[in-house]
Amino acid sequence: MPAFRVVEAALAKYLTSRIVGSSELTVSNLFRIPGGASRETWMFDATWSEPGHQSSGAFVLRKDPPASLLTTERELEYAFYEAFENSDVPVPRMRWLENGSDDLGAPFFIMDRILGCDSNTTRIQAPEYVPVRDNLAKQMYEILASIHRFDWRGTGIEKVTPVPAPDECWKHELDHWEQVINENELSPQPVIRAGIRWLRANPPPPPDRITVVHADYRVGNFLYTPQGIHGIVDWEMAHLGDPIEDIAWSFMEAWEWTRDGRKGGIIWAEDAIRIYEEATGTRVNREALHWWDVFGSVKGQAIWLTGARSFHDGKTAELIIPFTSYWLINFQDEIMLRALGRGA
Amino acid sequence: MRPDSPKVLFGVAGALMTQIMPEVRTPIAVQTVSLSAALLSMVAQEFDRAASRQVEENRAIRALLSDAHDIVGDLALRGRIKAETADPVEHDLHVSALQLVNDRLRSLLIDVHAAVETTPGGAAATLNDRIWDELKESTRRRHLASGLA
Repeated sequence: MPAFRVVEAALAKYLTSRIVGSSELTVSNLFRIPGGASRETWMFDATWSEPGHQSSGAFVLRKDPPASLLTTERELEYAFYEAFENSDVPVPRMRWLENGSDDLGAPFFIMDRILGCDSNTTRIQAPEYVPVRDNLAKQMYEILASIHRFDWRGTGIEKVTPVPAPDECWKHELDHWEQVINENELSPQPVIRAGIRWLRANPPPPPDRITVVHADYRVGNFLYTPQGIHGIVDWEMAHLGDPIEDIAWSFMEAWEWTRDGRKGGIIWAEDAIRIYEEATGTRVNREALHWWDVFGSVKGQAIWLTGARSFHDGKTAELIIPFTSYWLINFQDEIMLRALGRGA
Repeated sequence: MRPDSPKVLFGVAGALMTQIMPEVRTPIAVQTVSLSAALLSMVAQEFDRAASRQVEENRAIRALLSDAHDIVGDLALRGRIKAETADPVEHDLHVSALQLVNDRLRSLLIDVHAAVETTPGGAAATLNDRIWDELKESTRRRHLASGLA
């Protein structure tokens, strides 16, 4: 039996145990989608009988891989998705979380699939998106404002992530990602180490308030159609902290897919800031934005180095991992040098 | 005469894209084939230049370290500089051996750079600028002509 048939059968068994009153449940159209560098992402459909009627659903399975670019907690990602259900921030509905490996050989969670959307970074450049790209870009930063306005107190978020003091946000993140580099670098990283010294010597002003930080907010991590953005995904690095971290990350040069300076290949930085400031009623501190811009290279490099280590140690055979190592580790150094005024 | 290694790797990458890709049906398999081709092209570039890059870079770092010896005040750091620059000849030209030397030199460069940044005076400032120039040059040496970055 092909491997994907085995997974379909295991999923059918699992869903039958979770959907109360279901019988004759079948899983079909299972396929893995590209990307998912931190967690395997699979699509599938399911149909089942319930007393008196037939039901069906389209789902996404996010399954832990043996190793990846990131070591993240699925419970954390699940909690952030759940917290934003029925909010101004569009997210897919969470269904089931499993921390054991008995059902599919690894921990996983399952969510509803938002149908008919694009998500990749190049599709948004296609001709049919040209007339609507400005609207999508505007919506992207309005949704970011909604994420940062979201009242996280009393939600499940508090149970899965610490609440930093405003003047500790930067240190909390920098300590974490420096430690990731310490544990994973295969070779010394003099550019990033110089950047870390600069960051510690020039801490940013504290944020006015602690907000949810998506922490991977960029083109490529939302689901869209010409009609708009329908889902914000990939919350695995989400935490509480300084909202400017998200703006800076979304501006990172590595995501300038059109290589013309437009952030995410869709918007100029000052336009994005203006939209965000209007939506939040707050001003983006440029000094803090620069600090988080430099920090983005530390975090990016930590992610690429973790992947390189995983592949080097034989923990993963996913080719996206060495590809990002070859493509992005040196590029991230170049970005860091430019951010510090030492590049070309 | 046989085709050199980069030519073979570029050839395999081309065959993957022109002969295998049209037969591929699933999105994940399309990604795997295209990543394979891209990686082969990257490795082909690295294969040809790796030893040259490391010899050039090790030489450049040793020169910086030698000049730093009399600028940094830390005696332990001076001792490490002296030990690392005593024998500037690369005795083993295997890429793996050169990489080990490069790792040692870049590790020491990090510590020297940190020390130079906090050392007052014009000589330290000049050396600091030269280290930054070398870091910039190190990224140029590693740049891949992939059209990606």
